Amino acid sequence: MSSLIKIPEVLAPAGSLDKLKVAILYGANAVYVGGQKFGLRTAAENFTLDELREGMVFAHERDAKVYVVLNSFLHDKDLLELPDFVRYLEEIGTDAVIVSDLGVVNTVRKHSQISIHISTQASTLNTQSALLWKKAGASRIVLGREVSVKEAGKIKRAADIEIEMFIHGSMCMAYSGHCVISNFTQGRDSNRGGCAHSCRFEYSLEGLDTLEKKKAFFMSSKDLEGLRVLPHFIEEGIDSLKIEGRMKSHLYAGTMSKVYSEALKFYADNGHFLSDDLTKWESELGKVSHRTYTQASLVEKASFNSIFNERENSLEGEWQMVGSVIDASPKSGIVIEVRNAFNQGDELEIIPFSGDVIKVQARQIMDLTMKALTRTKPTTLVRLPYVSGVKGSFLIRQKVKT
Amino acid sequence: MKLTTYAKNLHELNILKDQGFTEVILEPKSLARFGKLSHDEFIKLSGRAQELGLRVLLEWDILMTEDVFIIKLDAIKELIPFVNAVRVQDPGAFNWILENTDKPLQFIAENGNHNLNALEGWIDLSHGRMERVILSIELSKTTIQEYVQKLTIPCELLGLGRILLFYTPRPLLSALIPDKISINEEFAAIGESEESPHKGFPIVENQHGTFMFHIKQFCLIEYAQELREMGLCHLRIDQRWEESCLTEISCLMLKFETARFEAFKQRYHQDLMRGFYLVNKTDVLFPKLKNSRLQKREGDYVGEVLEVEKGSHLAIMVKNPRGLSGRDCIKILHPKGEVFESKIYSLKNLDLEEVNHVPAGNVALVQFVGGVWVKSQVFYLTIV
Repeated sequence: MSSLIKIPEVLAPAGSLDKLKVAILYGANAVYVGGQKFGLRTAAENFTLDELREGMVFAHERDAKVYVVLNSFLHDKDLLELPDFVRYLEEIGTDAVIVSDLGVVNTVRKHSQISIHISTQASTLNTQSALLWKKAGASRIVLGREVSVKEAGKIKRAADIEIEMFIHGSMCMAYSGHCVISNFTQGRDSNRGGCAHSCRFEYSLEGLDTLEKKKAFFMSSKDLEGLRVLPHFIEEGIDSLKIEGRMKSHLYAGTMSKVYSEALKFYADNGHFLSDDLTKWESELGKVSHRTYTQASLVEKASFNSIFNERENSLEGEWQMVGSVIDASPKSGIVIEVRNAFNQGDELEIIPFSGDVIKVQARQIMDLTMKALTRTKPTTLVRLPYVSGVKGSFLIRQKVKT
Repeated sequence: MKLTTYAKNLHELNILKDQGFTEVILEPKSLARFGKLSHDEFIKLSGRAQELGLRVLLEWDILMTEDVFIIKLDAIKELIPFVNAVRVQDPGAFNWILENTDKPLQFIAENGNHNLNALEGWIDLSHGRMERVILSIELSKTTIQEYVQKLTIPCELLGLGRILLFYTPRPLLSALIPDKISINEEFAAIGESEESPHKGFPIVENQHGTFMFHIKQFCLIEYAQELREMGLCHLRIDQRWEESCLTEISCLMLKFETARFEAFKQRYHQDLMRGFYLVNKTDVLFPKLKNSRLQKREGDYVGEVLEVEKGSHLAIMVKNPRGLSGRDCIKILHPKGEVFESKIYSLKNLDLEEVNHVPAGNVALVQFVGGVWVKSQVFYLTIV
């Protein structure tokens, strides 16, 4: 069955080298990463030059691709440093760069042969726009999140170009690249990585004839979740499904990569999604902190019900990451880097790269020097007794105690 | 330098004629973000404008998903015979005009396009059909001057008008009105953010989406002479939301007097600002946005401290392919910037075995170093 169906790639966010490894180990076919400059996540950890090289090797050894974001709206002075970086990216085998500015497109083309993907930041929304970017040298378009999957299929067929669409994550309410609130109110260029997330603030609104003064988070969007839309993506021949979130956690990168790659593999093997696992996959997506989910414009135009009219601090999920496995062997046990404290006796879920979670109870906890503990502390390393099947880099979570 | 502006009725056209304008921007409701004109009104007004000797520019500045684009083609095909040039922002509209008409193109490059290379790229893509580029108001005057001098086509800049901050196709205001009448109705509101001292953001929702503007309007009238000397060809006056004061502006443009301008500012219904005209420093805060722990150095990075056990050990995740050896000297950078240097004299692996070398991807336990915190970064100092 799988040879007959073209399955889109799962493209995961990797805000750091560790997250790149997590995303790929958990099934992502490709990751997108940022260097220390030129991207839109100034505050993210991002990659040094050495880490980019190492990430490239790690990914390519596992048949995964690495795309590097250069999707800021660069000013002239920013462009001066770009040629050296582009040549370096080509030298280390970068699979593509993600670009939103025509000046950057031209610079990349002048100094390398790297494939160019047009970022969603360019708000490419229609066939004619895709054709223009194709003339400019693009090989793939990351469509604006306002485009439905059906429209995307039309664009792909008419423009004959690779199409990438967002399937999951936070969303700009504005057309991407068309919001400058931060620029003019906070002096931070949102389109060069300084977005202050002003759209998530509460606003008092007045003046509408039919509206009394009202407070609302009226510009805040719910989060995109497209699991049940997967069949449409496949039917329309979409090439790549992108997960937003380079600033998000290891647990997020791992969970999203795992769920979407397992769901697509099921489809490739069976030709449908009529799986008992569908509810399991949805449950997994729900275990990562998120705003209320919406399909936004994937099927129908996003409307009133896509607004997340709530304060951001209500985002804590029911599950939290307690840590990740640093090492696992019968001799050293399961060594965990603790992110959130857990106690002796707690039920933990260890998430394998594929398949069902491994449930363990923390009956015995020791520190690195083999001293017994009754509770752990964040930013420490602890040992649990070895459990067969557990490997390094597995993530561990726990239901939040109420 | 010529003034350009919008008109939506015969009265406004006549004012333009009287003030010596040579062109007018007309906005059909179907194609322009803030258009008010039906197609019949547009065609009638276009005809009258041309009789008055005004060049007619059609504003097609909405952004369009594929299905909307297809629908809008009927509108543009109907109106295009009645205009002299078309102003577009969506690259799809740009391409369609190039491929399907012989009309000159004016490209609204107000979002991004903050480098000369990009602007020259758009001009190249137009194959000689672009007659004007509308520059971003985020450019500083030195940049504007450079672009005006180096670009091969005339440039336009906003001289007075609202600053658009935000554009979404989603209906955000009507969502708050329980018994809204029609989805295509236009709504307006004033917004006040909880997180900033700014109060009074004008917000508009119409059939094309929701738009939010800055509390102040953009104004470069006092720099008109400077812009003229730079060689800027077109300065746009945008008074679509207020009583027109074109006569007064024209007089100020002809002969600028500070006192008259100050009086104009006092009378103007909104505060005015020059934005980034003098300087754009919207990237200077970036280094402060990043946790100093995450500001890495290239080259000699060993890894990160995962655990500090006082009096016992530091656990370091070794990330450098060289690994960590018992003979290495290391420099440890505290998250707050303090630096510690130490020679390694105790090196163990996770099985607590004394070893000479811990390879990359593994945890190394070295002797405790006072003052070091978790998340400190470790670098090679020297290899003895």
